[in-house]
Amino acid sequence: MMLKPVMCHEVCIGCSCCLLSCPVWNRTRDRSLTAQGRNKALQGGATVEDISNAIDSCILCGACEPNCPEGNDIVGLTIEQRGLLNMTRKGYPSWYPATEAKPTKGVRLQYKEVTLLAGNALKNDKDLCEAVLKLLGNKSITASDDGSDILRSMEAGLQVDKSRIDDFIYPLNSAGPLVVAEGGLRRHLKEWLPDKKIAGLGEALLSIDSIRRSLGPDDLYVIECRGFHSDYARLVRFYDRVRLETGVQLNLDLQRIAIPTGASSIQASEDLEAAGCIEQVKWILYGRKVSRIIVENLADIDAFRRVTDIPLVHVALLA
Amino acid sequence: MKFTSVEKGCIPPCNVAPNSLMGVPRVQTNPSRWHGDGWQGFVEELKSKGVVVREEKWERSIFVTDAGGLAFGLPHGVVRPSSSEDVSKVLIAAQTHLVPVITRGGGLSSEGEAIAFGGLLLDMTSMNRVLEVDRENMTVRTEAGIFWHQLAEVLRRDGLDYLSAPLNMTSTVGGVLGVGGIDINSPRLGCSADQALALRVVTPTGEIVECSGSENSDLFERVLLGYGQFGVITEATMKIRPFTHIKMRYLYYSSLRTAIEDLQLIVREDASDYSGILTVMDSAINLLVAFDSDGREQEFDARWRSRLRGHGEVSFGVRLALYYALHPWRIKEALYIVDRRMKMVPEFFRPEFMREGKIEDRTVVFSRAVWKFWGGRQMVIPDLSASAEKFIEAVERGNAVCRKYFRYYTLYCVGIKKMEDLPRYEMSCMPPGATDFAYGCEFEPMLKDKDYSRDYLQSFKNEIYDIGVDMGLSYYRFGGMMKGYIRRIFGDEMVDRHLEMKRKADPAMILNPDVIF
Ligand SMILES: Cc1cc2nc3c(=O)[nH]c(=O)nc-3n(C[C@H](O)[C@H](O)[C@H](O)COP(=O)(O)OP(=O)(O)OC[C@H]3O[C@@H](n4cnc5c(N)ncnc54)[C@H](O)[C@@H]3O)c2cc1C
Ligand code: SF4
Ligand code: SF4
Repeated sequence: MMLKPVMCHEVCIGCSCCLLSCPVWNRTRDRSLTAQGRNKALQGGATVEDISNAIDSCILCGACEPNCPEGNDIVGLTIEQRGLLNMTRKGYPSWYPATEAKPTKGVRLQYKEVTLLAGNALKNDKDLCEAVLKLLGNKSITASDDGSDILRSMEAGLQVDKSRIDDFIYPLNSAGPLVVAEGGLRRHLKEWLPDKKIAGLGEALLSIDSIRRSLGPDDLYVIECRGFHSDYARLVRFYDRVRLETGVQLNLDLQRIAIPTGASSIQASEDLEAAGCIEQVKWILYGRKVSRIIVENLADIDAFRRVTDIPLVHVALLA
Repeated sequence: MKFTSVEKGCIPPCNVAPNSLMGVPRVQTNPSRWHGDGWQGFVEELKSKGVVVREEKWERSIFVTDAGGLAFGLPHGVVRPSSSEDVSKVLIAAQTHLVPVITRGGGLSSEGEAIAFGGLLLDMTSMNRVLEVDRENMTVRTEAGIFWHQLAEVLRRDGLDYLSAPLNMTSTVGGVLGVGGIDINSPRLGCSADQALALRVVTPTGEIVECSGSENSDLFERVLLGYGQFGVITEATMKIRPFTHIKMRYLYYSSLRTAIEDLQLIVREDASDYSGILTVMDSAINLLVAFDSDGREQEFDARWRSRLRGHGEVSFGVRLALYYALHPWRIKEALYIVDRRMKMVPEFFRPEFMREGKIEDRTVVFSRAVWKFWGGRQMVIPDLSASAEKFIEAVERGNAVCRKYFRYYTLYCVGIKKMEDLPRYEMSCMPPGATDFAYGCEFEPMLKDKDYSRDYLQSFKNEIYDIGVDMGLSYYRFGGMMKGYIRRIFGDEMVDRHLEMKRKADPAMILNPDVIF
């Protein structure tokens, strides 16, 4: 796969706005590990090898992007930089995916209905996955190929064979609306299937009345941040309406950016704590009074469990 | 002209006569790069004391310029202190090895005040923890490298807010207390530095000192608005207040003079909680007023609205349309105003920030708009601050300069309450002659439509600053590249007195050298 053309580090004006919601900044207070640090270093003649730590630190949560007044595609840029770095790395970081996305050899299906791209965590929880399908409607189906391997590889900046992406996309072309559990996939799907109606799992489930009605001011609802930031202009209004209607507390900061837990990053799949997830969860909970936490992303459950004994529930179980 | 004698080894006064450069498009006054003697010994001493100095070029490149984007300098190394003790070790070693140290907060100043032309750069943003929120006394204690927005995030979890800060989110508490800071609530609350109650300061010789109005008050008064000359602020205790949503109202004018007169009436009579003027050139002048409570808004309507000469948006729009119909050769300007309005207004009314007609988190809404519409790789924002009597003339003269240099620009004017005759106001943004209120105006050209040479931008700035010299005003910010104006505006006697104090506090003149003296 060709690396996606992305906006350039040159657009960075050094305003620091991206730091305000960056979990890496929050954890390290080290500018050089942030988007600003990478961009400014490259402007100053650094090579990607010089800034490899910074490139590897980013958890691709996208929280910085809506803040950037220059519209810098920071996630895309970081993925591109990882790709460049991979060309000269002696060894991959331990949290890199063990296997790369490879072409599948199988029958090419054609979906017609609402199609759930469940992702590994939801797929492994069969009961929950079935509950989700039921909520999405009688005819909804789970895609057998949900592109998780592609996402992991792309996040690591690894080359993904074009035929593998074609195999993944082909059945989705004919599908009805897509419901995507892994937020990281959304930015790529938007590019590959520009005309397709794509919703995050949370958005799809919150559109169900009974789920919405069960939310209240004592609840903290944790938005999955990667999907949210990849379609920010639309979703910030969607979730704001949910907040207005129900009084629920959201993991939004004052800029209406979703505070990431980081739990769905590839770094966290190896070590939640080292990826900064515990610190992030503490910050989400700081000063709040809540009696229930609702998550869209299953990976967040583990992160919250390590910090609090407030009851936790997946949004699908509110129905 | 008069040359003031100075001791050998000290930075001499600017030997340019007050009026000799009037109208000359001269280049900026960047100091030469520090030679680097003694650097290795300095780094080794710090290393032995457990302070990490980052010397890689890619670490230093982050700090190569500031928000102005016109001055450039590369430090030899960067320290990200994690405590006052770290800062102290740096300054003690710097005095010994004669290494210049530049303190940097958000780097949002625009005249090179926070740029290191060699030497060590202290990146204070690593000290960004909120230490204590005291609801009972309504104060907060915080490390001074914190961005104002980060402080707001923490305070808001408790339903609280700071009093006042610049509208950009990423300036720091230390960088603003050290310079001044204005907000649209400055007419009521003074400059941002006035919300400080106590500070922890590391003096240029490395002493860690607590200071406030009652303890070490000399140092307190010198450090506030002191451009980092008399110490590094590492912690601050500040007043806070309950968070409120605000109701914004806009009045439109076609005359700068009338709008300013009305602003001054509002400020003098405390008619609103927030006020300021924001213009599209001098064609569409917007006087904004805002209120923390419905009661204050109702009082405004009952007592002051009828005395103000501004129009509502619709009636102003009709007048403007008529004007441009009669002046068709200015159609480009009209289109620009319409375009600006269409793009900017939705930004101020984004539904996710509005609650029942009020703005929630105004600092986010305003700051984002500021970055989006006025931000850029280069930001040239010369300003003037004046007493009430001189303000209108100062703005009109500054406006004429803007018109001459740029097709599109904005003026941003606010009132600033002067608390009392505090020593901190001497040689600061508070202009001589200001009694209860001072007024400030920023002159902001739109630079995105065209590339301008540095000389052109510098000439523009100089013409604005020359107005200050000519009229006996002051500036919000006056260090760095503006250093050449300091003696002209404040006079030799005052500058020499401050230089003397600086030399006593900083024998090797290592802390923020070249910024002011
Ligand atoms: C988009 C934009 C909008 C702005 N809006 C406003 C506005 O609304 N109101 C306003 O007043 N200003 C505004 N400014 C200007 C800017 O906010 C001020 O200059 C502010 O003081 C910068 O703070 P900083 O933390 O970035 O300080 P820096 O630029 O890093 O430093 C400023 C000075 O303070 C010193 N300093 C920094 N930290 C410390 C410390 N801890 N102790 C002692 N000295 C220190 C530095 O050495 C330097 O001399 C704006 C600027 C921009 C770019
Ligand atoms: S994507 Fe997330 S981790 Fe990466 S720079 Fe942006 S905010 Fe920081
Ligand atoms: S927000 Fe954008 S322009 Fe500002 S420092 Fe970050 S990447 Fe650069």
